[in-house]
This record gives sequence, structure tokens and C-alpha cells, in this order.
Amino acid sequence: MELANQDHRVNLVDLDIVEPCYTLRPIKKQLSEQNINVIAWETKETIGLGEAGNTIKPAARWALMNEGDVVLDIGYGVEGSKTLNLIEGVDKEPNLKLYVVVNISRPMTSNVDDIIEYAKQLGIIHGLINNTHMGDETTPEIVQNGAKVVTEVAKALQIPVIATTAIRSVAKNIGNHDCMGNMVRPLDRYMPNTLW
Amino acid sequence: MSEKLITEEKRVFMTGNEVVAWAAVAAGAEIMYGYPITPQNEIMHYWTRLAPKYDRKFLQTEDELSAGFTTIGGVMAGRKSFTATAGPGNTLMQEPLSMAEAMRLPVVTVVQQRGGPSTATVIYSQQEVTLTTFGGNGEGMRVVYSTATHQELFDYTIKSFNVAWKYRFPTFVLGDGYQAKMRESLTLYDPEQKGVDFVPAERFVGKPGTPGVDREPGHYRNTYNVEEELYDVLQEHFADYKKMAEEVVEYDAFDTEDADVVVVSHGVVSRGAKEAVERMRKEGKKVGYFRPITLRPMPEKQLKEVADKAKKLLVVESAQGQFAKLIKDVIYGSTTEIVPLFKPGVGITTEEITAKTKEIL
Repeated sequence: MELANQDHRVNLVDLDIVEPCYTLRPIKKQLSEQNINVIAWETKETIGLGEAGNTIKPAARWALMNEGDVVLDIGYGVEGSKTLNLIEGVDKEPNLKLYVVVNISRPMTSNVDDIIEYAKQLGIIHGLINNTHMGDETTPEIVQNGAKVVTEVAKALQIPVIATTAIRSVAKNIGNHDCMGNMVRPLDRYMPNTLW
Repeated sequence: MSEKLITEEKRVFMTGNEVVAWAAVAAGAEIMYGYPITPQNEIMHYWTRLAPKYDRKFLQTEDELSAGFTTIGGVMAGRKSFTATAGPGNTLMQEPLSMAEAMRLPVVTVVQQRGGPSTATVIYSQQEVTLTTFGGNGEGMRVVYSTATHQELFDYTIKSFNVAWKYRFPTFVLGDGYQAKMRESLTLYDPEQKGVDFVPAERFVGKPGTPGVDREPGHYRNTYNVEEELYDVLQEHFADYKKMAEEVVEYDAFDTEDADVVVVSHGVVSRGAKEAVERMRKEGKKVGYFRPITLRPMPEKQLKEVADKAKKLLVVESAQGQFAKLIKDVIYGSTTEIVPLFKPGVGITTEEITAKTKEIL
């Protein structure tokens, strides 16, 4: 959205075929109105969602051929990262960056060792995003604790922290940078409306 | 042996399926048997991620019939065992679960309801109430907890193992696809630190000594020669169930004393019902809230009392009256009108419940 606001041509691709319960489908129209080319199934185009595997939209396979910036939203974990293999030209794309979004409130990625173990399973990654939150209970302290842990992981993996993200009201309290000096990106939440 | 999964109380943010897997580990479950079906898959995913670290086991079977029967096998071998399923998988599982009912086996099953009948949707419903409470060819000798929040998924999954092993009736955690996939915060804790005493597992077969000589023989039967034999055994089960019912029944209720309309709901729908009743009370409306947490056994006495005082009951559910049937059975004799708000396979919002309640007030 930030890129779209800067008049970039932005393509947002829904590649979550792991368990696509939170998807871009319900907010496709809303995002399209904000000058984003959303490549995602319409609900009416799909059959038996999640039941016996999911197919990617043909346009998603060729997503990298689109003009402008391409943001690929892939599913979680190793199975999610494997989805990238379905994208034409992904092995030849010099600008492809893979960022891992981490929330330390999730028990599976709650400490440095667990996050490193998780990240290493994903193959080559280029950066981390600290998205530590607790839904409606999120406080600046929760986000800052995430910043500390994620920054330590980044140092161990020798990759950068791309940003810390937080809902706009919390981000305002933290300021432009978190306690570890990472840039803070304020978020407007769209995903609560996107369950299935 | 591995260290404990949860060493201190901690606020976390998880999906419901993830919560169930963590709760099962925390409850001391030793093995999960399962067959994949949406929306319960991640219970298996997370269990299999946790299992090697905490010395637990997993067996993926070829279908739900096998998942149910292997869970029975695990229990009979003296292991705290569980399975998870949904929709058509729950249908298939009724055969082994009837056997568990017949043999009084402490099988724990987590059901994440999806749309029905048949394959329908993978998403959500409350249409597995009849199947889970009275499925199979038995008499509903089961304990069924209908959860509404992630905290409850954690609490009642833990509780299910203890209730199952204490009373020896198959025990269910009845969630749904929304709870399965939704992310929300909850507090994880070590049950033993909270004072929960785990009921120890016990072998049903392969006990030491000679049956009839060193110990009583174990007669775990699901087949009988004559009608009277079956009848007599069932009478014992009914008596045990009745005695247990008073101890395990749970419900949540407020503002029912002077209420003209009491909103009755269960599971995730009760979240919307609760908010609707709270809002209307602030507006001075005489409305109340009643939610059975155990759908088997039902809080019969409490619900009957509420029904006798209210002018109307608004029964709200994401099914076409499956929950309402349980209520009608319990309040038989009451002349209080029952007004339905049924939306099979679809979520129900606070606003819809508020509008319907105001319409009938």
C-alpha cells in the first residue's frame, strides 16, 4: 500500500495454498480500489477450498512477468516456501527477496533458538520483519520485546531486520524506530475481515 | 525424557488448532491417531511438530475409521490417546466411538465442526451437535464440551483427558472451523502448577498376573449373547452416567432472573449472544443469557429453571435446530415459547442476535 501510494505499480499475489483460511479474496475489491493489482481467486471461482489441495490461479504462476513491484504472500512454514517453486522465473529473478514475518507471541517462534530453527528450514531468506503482536491486546512493550528477540536472530543469521510493524495506534507510541533502531511501519488491519 | 512444554504461565497468540495441540501435550497425552480433514488439520501439524521434542507419538491412519479404532487400541494399551476430526470424518468415526461407548473407554476426540451434510464446506458450522452428542448406535453416553474461546479450547482439552479417564466415558471437545483457524490470545499454563491432578492412565489389556487367579478378569465387551445381558449392562452405564452428570455439568448464565427473553446458545455463537445481551441490558432491556458448556450431559435443572421463569427463549445456533432439540428435551413440560434463530453452516453476529431479540421482546 505504501508503494501504491507512491504511484508504484503494485501486484499483490495470494500464494497461500497451505491452509488458505485467511486470504485476500474477501478484500480483493477493496485493495483493487487502492490501485493494487490483486492476483487471487474469487471465492465463487473455487471449489472445496482447502479440502483436497488447492490450485494456484494461473495468473499467479506468471506473476513475476507483471510490470512493477510484485509482492508474493506465501503460506507459513516449509510448505509455504515450497510454493515459490510453482512461480515461473523465480530462480532467475535477481530482485527476489524473501522476508520472514515473525510474531514472538506465537509459541512456536517465541525465542531466539526457535526462530532460528524455523528460519533455517525455509531455505535462503533475506530479512526479518518483527510483527510481534497480541491482537487487540497489543502494547508497545509487546512489540519492543519482539524487536529485541528478532534483532538478535537477525544478527545470528546475518540478515537485516527490514522493519518492525505495529497497528497504527501502537506504532505512534513507539515512534519512527523501535528500541533496537529498526524502522517502524504502522499497520492498518484488514485481515480480521478475511477469515475464509 | 524431554523437558516440560510449558514451564510458566504465559500470554500468547495462537490459532485454535495450535491451542489444542499444545493443550494435549500439556495434559500428558501420549499419542495422537488421526487422518487429515479440514478444518482440524493443524492439530495434527502442530502435534507432529511438538511430539518428537516431548517424547510423544503420532500415527496417521488410512481413514477415520482406523483413526478411531487405533485410538481405542492406544487407550486399551494404557496410553492417554486422542484423535481429532470434522464433518464426514466425524461421521465415519461414530463406529469406533460407539465401541468406546460400549466398552467404557476414555477416548478423547476433538471435533472442529464444518458445514454439512456430507462434504459441504470446510469452513464452519454447528451442525455436528447431534452426531457428537448422540452419534452412533448408542445412547449418547458421552461427555461433550462446546468451547467458545481459545482459552476454553486449552482448558477443556486438558480437562477432557481427566474426565475421560476418571469416568470412563468417551469425551469430546466440540469446536468449529472458526475457532480452529481464528487467532486470538490466551494464557498457557502448566496444569499441574495450577493444582490439576492428572488421573493416571491404566492398561485395559496386558495387565500382569493371571485373570481370575491374580486379578479380576477384564471384560471389555461390545457384543452380547442375549438381550437381557445387554440390558443389564446398559442399566449400569446409565446409572454411572447419571451419577457423573451432576459432577461434570457446566454452564454459563447471567441476567436470567428477571429476563423476559433469555438467549440460549452454545460454542462460538455464544460470544455474539453474550455481547448482544450485555448491550441490551445497558439499554435497560430485560434479557438474559444462558449457555450450556456441556452439551452432554446438559445442565438440565438449571435450564429448566431458566425456562420456567422467562417468557421466551431465543435459541441461536449455526444449525437447523440440532441444539434446540437438546433444549426441548430438557425443558419438556415448560410452556415457555421457543423462538429460533437458525443459520445452518453460517456465522451469527451480535447485531443479528440483538435485532431478533428486540423483535420478540
